[in-house]
Amino acid sequence: MSYAYLFKYIIIGDTGVGKSCLLLQFTDKRFQPVHDLTIGVEFGARMITIDNKPIKLQIWDTAGQESFRSITRSYYRGAAGALLVYDITRRETFNHLASWLEDARQHANANMTIMLIGNKCDLAHRRAVSTEEGEQFAKEHGLIFMEASAKTAQNVEEAFIKTAATIYKKIQDGVFDVSNESYGIKVGYGGIPGPSGGRDGGSAQGGGCCS
Amino acid sequence: MQETELHDLSDDADYAASQLQGSASMMRSDSISKQSSSSDSDGAEIVYSKDNVTIHPTQFASERIGGRLKLIKQGSSLFMSWIPYKGQSSNARVSEKDRNLYTIRAVPFTEVRSIRRHTPALGWQYIIVVLSSGLAFPPLYFYNGGVKEFLATIKQHVFIVRSSEDANAFLVNDFQNPLQRTLSSLELPRAVSVAIEPSTSFSAGESPSNENQQRIDGGFHNESSSISQYNAKQRQKVHDPRDLSIQVLEKFSLVTKFARETTSQLFREGHGNGYGAIERRNHDQSSFDYPERVSSVKENVPDEIPVPSDPLEKIYCLKHNHVEEAATNLGTFELISCKEVDKLTLVWGKPRQPPLGSEEWVTFLDSEGRIVDSKALRKRVFYGGVEHGLRKEVWALLLGYHSYDSTYAEREYLRSIKKSEYETIKIQWQSISPEQAKRFTKFRERKGLIEKDVVRTDRSFSFYDGDDNTNVNLLRDILLTYSFYNFDLGYCQGMSDLLSPILFVMEDESESFWCFVALMERLGPNFNRDQNGMHSQLFALCKLVELLDSPLHNYFKQNDCLNYFFCFRWILIQFKREFEYEKTMRLWEVLWTHYLSEHLHLYVCVAILKRYRKKIMGEQMDFDTLLKFINELSGRIDLDSILRDAEALCICAGENGAACIPPGTPPSLPVDGLLLYTQQDDVL
Repeated sequence: MSYAYLFKYIIIGDTGVGKSCLLLQFTDKRFQPVHDLTIGVEFGARMITIDNKPIKLQIWDTAGQESFRSITRSYYRGAAGALLVYDITRRETFNHLASWLEDARQHANANMTIMLIGNKCDLAHRRAVSTEEGEQFAKEHGLIFMEASAKTAQNVEEAFIKTAATIYKKIQDGVFDVSNESYGIKVGYGGIPGPSGGRDGGSAQGGGCCS
Repeated sequence: MQETELHDLSDDADYAASQLQGSASMMRSDSISKQSSSSDSDGAEIVYSKDNVTIHPTQFASERIGGRLKLIKQGSSLFMSWIPYKGQSSNARVSEKDRNLYTIRAVPFTEVRSIRRHTPALGWQYIIVVLSSGLAFPPLYFYNGGVKEFLATIKQHVFIVRSSEDANAFLVNDFQNPLQRTLSSLELPRAVSVAIEPSTSFSAGESPSNENQQRIDGGFHNESSSISQYNAKQRQKVHDPRDLSIQVLEKFSLVTKFARETTSQLFREGHGNGYGAIERRNHDQSSFDYPERVSSVKENVPDEIPVPSDPLEKIYCLKHNHVEEAATNLGTFELISCKEVDKLTLVWGKPRQPPLGSEEWVTFLDSEGRIVDSKALRKRVFYGGVEHGLRKEVWALLLGYHSYDSTYAEREYLRSIKKSEYETIKIQWQSISPEQAKRFTKFRERKGLIEKDVVRTDRSFSFYDGDDNTNVNLLRDILLTYSFYNFDLGYCQGMSDLLSPILFVMEDESESFWCFVALMERLGPNFNRDQNGMHSQLFALCKLVELLDSPLHNYFKQNDCLNYFFCFRWILIQFKREFEYEKTMRLWEVLWTHYLSEHLHLYVCVAILKRYRKKIMGEQMDFDTLLKFINELSGRIDLDSILRDAEALCICAGENGAACIPPGTPPSLPVDGLLLYTQQDDVL
């Protein structure tokens, strides 16, 4: 399918916080309580529309266990967006956010957009992390923040799309040289060439080139 | 020519043993070769004799077979023979049968096609002799040097030419016409079909057994007994499919080189010996066949990403009917060979057998239940796996939980001992009260992690599906008990994938636990916190690809893919996510035989990568794309054919392959006999 841009996302966070479920809810619009735990990395993809432009999200869903960090780090390369997920019912998954963030800052490109997601907000009765704490953490670290539920689909769509919109705006503002794929962005049909000139398929192919 | 030994072998035990063994006879043979002639009673003359020329049938030093290589002149004919030494103590693992299998008795040089000399950077010089039938003898390693002398002696008696392109290849009975020579060296159908077609009196359907029936050289009356022995041996030899595959492989690796060499020779390409890209081939074509179309040919192709050919391409040609490169001259040769060979079923890795059934199983046992010949059993399982009903018994042996020489009674006894031992360990965590658990973070975390993971393990498989499934609880109990049994290693994701089929097969908690323990003795380092086991395997895999497919290796190198993380899941859980459940069990029991190599799984990786090499390189996959592509192969890999590929690659790589794999690389047992796990606090 043709797209104006392709964004690479990576989903990170402790094991069991619901990374794979968020992905499945976003790509397939369903919640699957029984699924195999992620070994290595899994992939998902979906088209969305921002500013009337088709944008393809290619999403990398990683294994959460500490032992696999050294491997996971190699997946950051070329990611435009990251969803950093914790489980609002398990305090320790919130406590580990700083170390995840450190990994991301160290191994991803500096302009990667990070969305912090407090997942399982349907389980409010078991809440161990308040919404305010999540907001506070996000504010301190310059992240976008949302609480979501992969089970009820609440805010799932929004989280992925808001991240994409932020990336899209960064492109518009000229933050990225989109011809450089290390930013996790590929320009397709109708995309906008970056400030330093586009690649094939950008303005060269005409289409909806505008800014 | 390099004649001197490249390395001091004085500390090589095997070498020392062979030195001792051969010293007495060497004096005699040395004097013989100095005289350069010695008459036998029947008029044959030994013109060359060399001791300690050795065959390496497997990667194991203890299975090497030392022997004496001789050239015998009779009348105008020259013969080659290699007779293994008898009863070498260091070769206790080599049976007399094996010894006989490899014996070369008086092969006339009229049957020799070529000899290639190899001078590895590490180790001994060796030669590969290819017969005009297409079969090749296993490499002959010259422990005492003498390759140069060997070739020089041949040259005195037989017409032999050095390949103009490769100084190490010598063609015997060379054709005059270089084109004919090239095609001849590519005559794979004949190379293989000697086994099938030569004597009309045999039915063609019955594979390679009737080989060489009519090959008795007329001038060799006096040694007709040797000749018939030779023929008998050849028949016996090709009866063993593994043997044939060795021969065929040697032939192919040589043929591929010949194809390249003679092609470039034909078209006077001075571009060294690298793996030619399409540009070069186009040039070949345009300068030879269609000189007037130089530019058009060049312009026609650029859309195609040039994919360097597979060093073992012929084999893949044979198997996959890839006839895609007919447009170039080199390609034309490939086309020819492909077309012809496609009709044949080539021994490429032994055809898979049906799984071992119970009737056959009992033939491996003595009256008290001992495995009489464990190697034979492992071989049988390697080639066919085990029927599901037998797995319970056989897996316990393959994994090393029970020993092959244990009796029924001993195994039963061990079971009961181990059952109570298991209960003792299990009670350690069961007795932790909620109050104690509150103050035992590590335990709570581990338990929580395991509980989270067992409900995410094979739940779509009927044995583990549904709510409150007791088998899921067993997974949890066994894993938690293991994390106490091996507290340093603890629990890591992936373990539940490994345990799941074991529990399904063993159907018993304690038995499953101990089989899992045995497996983890070998695979534990996969789950070590520093991932050292994984890294050493990925490193070895990288080396193996470099050895078996250097263009692919170079591609990975250029694209920053040498960490091989895209194979991470394959190795971590032994392809568990790549195949359906039953196939996974089949693969595992094959891997666990350690029959050809402890590291067959790495050859499986190479085999899969090689299958898709064209796609990977042709589509110019970068790391991300490659990772995604590999992930999506899940459920689409044909196990049997990949196993045959892997077997062939393993044989093909031989000792060089084994040398790619550092000692102690999982699933090898650790070098020092004890696994040490980094002890750090699990954060998660």
